Amino acid sequence: MRALVIAGCAVALAAACQRDEGRELPHGMPQGIAVAPVSDTAGGVLPGIHSQVAYGALHNPYTGNVQAERDGRQLFLSYNCVGCHGGRAGGGMGPSLRDSAWIYGNSDADLFATITEGRPNGMPTWGGKIPEDQIWKLISYIRTLRTSGEPDPPPPATQPNR
Amino acid sequence: MLAAACSKEKAAPAVVATGRAPATATGTTFPQPGAGNPGEWTTAGRDYAGTRYSPLDQITTANVANLKVAWTFSTGVLNGHEGQPLVVGNTMYVTTPWPNITYALDLADAHAPAKWALAPPTVSAAKGEACCDVVNRGSAYGDGKIVWNMLDGNTIAADAKTGKQLWKTKLADIDKGETITMAPLIVKNKVFVGVSGAEMGVRGWIAALDLGDGHVVWKAYNTGSDKDVLIGSDFKPFYAFMRGTDLGIKSWPPDQWKIGGATVWGWITYDPETNLIFYGTGNPGAWNPDLRPGDNLWSMTIFARNPETGAAKWAYQMTPHDMWDYDGVNESIVADIDIDGKPRKVLLHAERNGFAYVIDRTNGQVINAEPYVFTNWATGIDLQSGRPKYVPDKMTRQGVIIRNICPSSTGGKDQQPTSWSPRTKLWYIPATNDCMDYEGTAVSYIAGTPYLGADVRMYAGPGGNRGELVAWDPAQGKKVWGVKENFPLWSGTLVTAGDVLFYGTMDGWVKAVDARNGNPLWSFKTGSGVIGNPISYIGPDGKQYIAIYTGVGGWMGAIASANLSPDDPTAALGATGAAPDLKRYTAPGGMLFVFGL
Repeated sequence: MRALVIAGCAVALAAACQRDEGRELPHGMPQGIAVAPVSDTAGGVLPGIHSQVAYGALHNPYTGNVQAERDGRQLFLSYNCVGCHGGRAGGGMGPSLRDSAWIYGNSDADLFATITEGRPNGMPTWGGKIPEDQIWKLISYIRTLRTSGEPDPPPPATQPNR
Repeated sequence: MLAAACSKEKAAPAVVATGRAPATATGTTFPQPGAGNPGEWTTAGRDYAGTRYSPLDQITTANVANLKVAWTFSTGVLNGHEGQPLVVGNTMYVTTPWPNITYALDLADAHAPAKWALAPPTVSAAKGEACCDVVNRGSAYGDGKIVWNMLDGNTIAADAKTGKQLWKTKLADIDKGETITMAPLIVKNKVFVGVSGAEMGVRGWIAALDLGDGHVVWKAYNTGSDKDVLIGSDFKPFYAFMRGTDLGIKSWPPDQWKIGGATVWGWITYDPETNLIFYGTGNPGAWNPDLRPGDNLWSMTIFARNPETGAAKWAYQMTPHDMWDYDGVNESIVADIDIDGKPRKVLLHAERNGFAYVIDRTNGQVINAEPYVFTNWATGIDLQSGRPKYVPDKMTRQGVIIRNICPSSTGGKDQQPTSWSPRTKLWYIPATNDCMDYEGTAVSYIAGTPYLGADVRMYAGPGGNRGELVAWDPAQGKKVWGVKENFPLWSGTLVTAGDVLFYGTMDGWVKAVDARNGNPLWSFKTGSGVIGNPISYIGPDGKQYIAIYTGVGGWMGAIASANLSPDDPTAALGATGAAPDLKRYTAPGGMLFVFGL
C-alpha cells in the first residue's frame, strides 16, 4: 500500500512543479493533478477510514522550511481554507487550528490524511485537488500558528479611536 | 371564534391576519395562521404578517414578576438554537439544529412526553457547507402537516398527529454549497422554501412546493435572466434603477451571477389583501466587491411575488453593489399604520445595513428609512432614487483595509426577528452595535467551499455595548427608547397584548420588559446563551405560557458553541473579534424553556 502512495506522491510533485503556488487560482477546481491512488485495495475513499493504513509513516519534507511556511499561508487563502477555519485559523465553520485540540490527531501523517481524505463532519476530500507538496506546505503553515514564526499573525484586538 | 374570523372585519390599525382563505378546488380550507385560536402559534412569525404579536393577556406588566419555569426539554443538540417551537392544539413541535429532528410534545401531560419524534436520515457532510453554525429556524403547520427543512437540502412533511413522513423533496445540493436553514412558510396549499449558501458561491432561489405531495410548483432564481427570476409583464419596480431587461445578468460581470449568492435564508411573510409574499435576498458573492462591478441585482433585494405563480410584482434593492455583507434577508412585517394622518399599507424591515425601512407594500416605495443603530457607511437613503447615499471612505475594495465601518457585517440586526405591537404602535428590534475593519482579498471559486474574499475583524461600536433592544416608531422613523445589552442581541422579540416584551441574551438571560417604556420587569438565567425566538401560547390548562429555546451558537455565538480561538479576531468571518469574551459567560446546550405564572 505504501508503495502505491509514494508512487502517487512522485506523480503529484511533478505536476505541482508546473504551478505557481502564490498565483490566484482560476475559477473552478484545478485540473490535471495526480494524487495517491488510495483505492479499492484500501477499501475506498470514504473520509477518515483508512488514514492509519495509508499515511502512518509519512513525515513533512518541509519541516523547518520558512519559505514553505509562508507559501502555506498563501495556499491557506487560495484554497479557501480561511473561509471555514478562520482568517488566522481560529475556526468558524470548521474547528480552530490554533488550539491544542486535534479531533483526528496532529502527527504529520494525521494532518496529511485529514486534508487528503477529508473527514465526515464537513472537511472536504482534497486529495486530487491539492498537490501533495502543497498539502505539506499547508501543514508547515499550521505548525507555525501561535508561534513567533507565524506568517501574517492575527491583527491586534484593539479598537479604533472615535 | 371561527364565525367571527370568517366575517370581513377590517384589520383595525393592526396587522393580525383575519378571515379565512378561500376554499380550494378540492374543498379543503386552509385557516390563516393566527387567525383561528389566539392560544396557538402555528407558523414561525405567529401570523402570515410575521408580527410576533400574541393577543394573549394573562401575563401582564403587573404579574410577570411571578413568572417561573413550568417545564423544560433538552434537544440533545449542542449547536445554536435559532428559530422557535410551534403550538398546534395540545401539541408543541420542536425542530432541532442539524440533524434536524422534529419532536411532537404532548402538552396535556405534565411530563410533556413525545407523541412522536422523526429523525429523517441525513449526512454529516452537510455541516461543512453551513456558513454560520448548523442552525434551523423552525417548522410550519398547514392542513394537518408539519413541514420543515433539513440542512442537507431536503424539505420534509410529516403527519402532525402521527409523525408519519408524508413526503420528502430534495431541493438543495450540498456539493454546490447549498443548504437549507430557514423556516418554511405555508400559504394555502403551498410551501415556500429558500436556499442558504451565499458564502459558498451558490445561486440563490426560492421555491414553492405543493403542500399535498411536495412537488415543485415554481422556482424563482434571484440572479440571471428575467425568465429565471420570474420577472414578466406584471413586474413594476418603483425606482428607475431596477427597470430594464435581464438586469440579473447585466448588473454583473460575465458569468459572475451564476455564483452570485442572493440566497433566501430569512423569513417569508404574506399579505392576503394584496395576495403577495415578501422575502429578502442575501449578499452577492464574493464578499470582495472588486470581483463584481455593478449593482448585482437581485441581491440585497426585497421581492414581492404572487404566491400561486411566483411572478414578481415589485422589487426593491436596498444595498446596490454590497461592499460589506449586509444581507437583505431580514423579515418584512406586514402592518397597517397611520403615517402623516393617512392609513398606509406597509412593510417593516430592519435591514442588516443599519436602516429601518418602512415600505409601501403595494408598490415598493420607501416611505421612510432611518438608521436604528450607529451607521456610517451611508448618510441616508435618497427617497427619490431609492439608493443609499454612500460614504466614499467606507467603500471596501481589494488590498486595502477600510477601518471603522458601522454596522459590521453581522448588521444592525441579523436574522433574529423583530415584533410589532398594534397596541403600543412600536416595533421592537433586537439590535447589534458592532463596527469592523474590512479588506477585500483574492479568492478562488471551488464548488462546495467558502467563496469569501474578505478579511474582516469586528468589535464593539460606540458606547461599548454590543447589543441594544430598540423600540422604534415606524410612523415617525425614530427610536422611542432602548435597552442596552453587553452582547449583541441575537434572539428575536415577542410582544403580547399584556404589553410585555420578551427576549433573550447571548449570555443566557431570558428577559421581560414593559413594552411601553422598556422598564425591566423579570429575568431568568438559563445555562446557555439565547439566540432563539420567544413564543406565547395557551396550554390545555387554559393558562398562558412563554416558550423559548436556549443554546448558544449561530454566527455570533459560534465562538462558544464551536470553541473558536478568541486570539483570532478574524475567525468566524470576523465575528470572533466582537465577542471574544463570550465563552466566559456561556457554554453550549440546547434546551426548550417554558415559563408560566
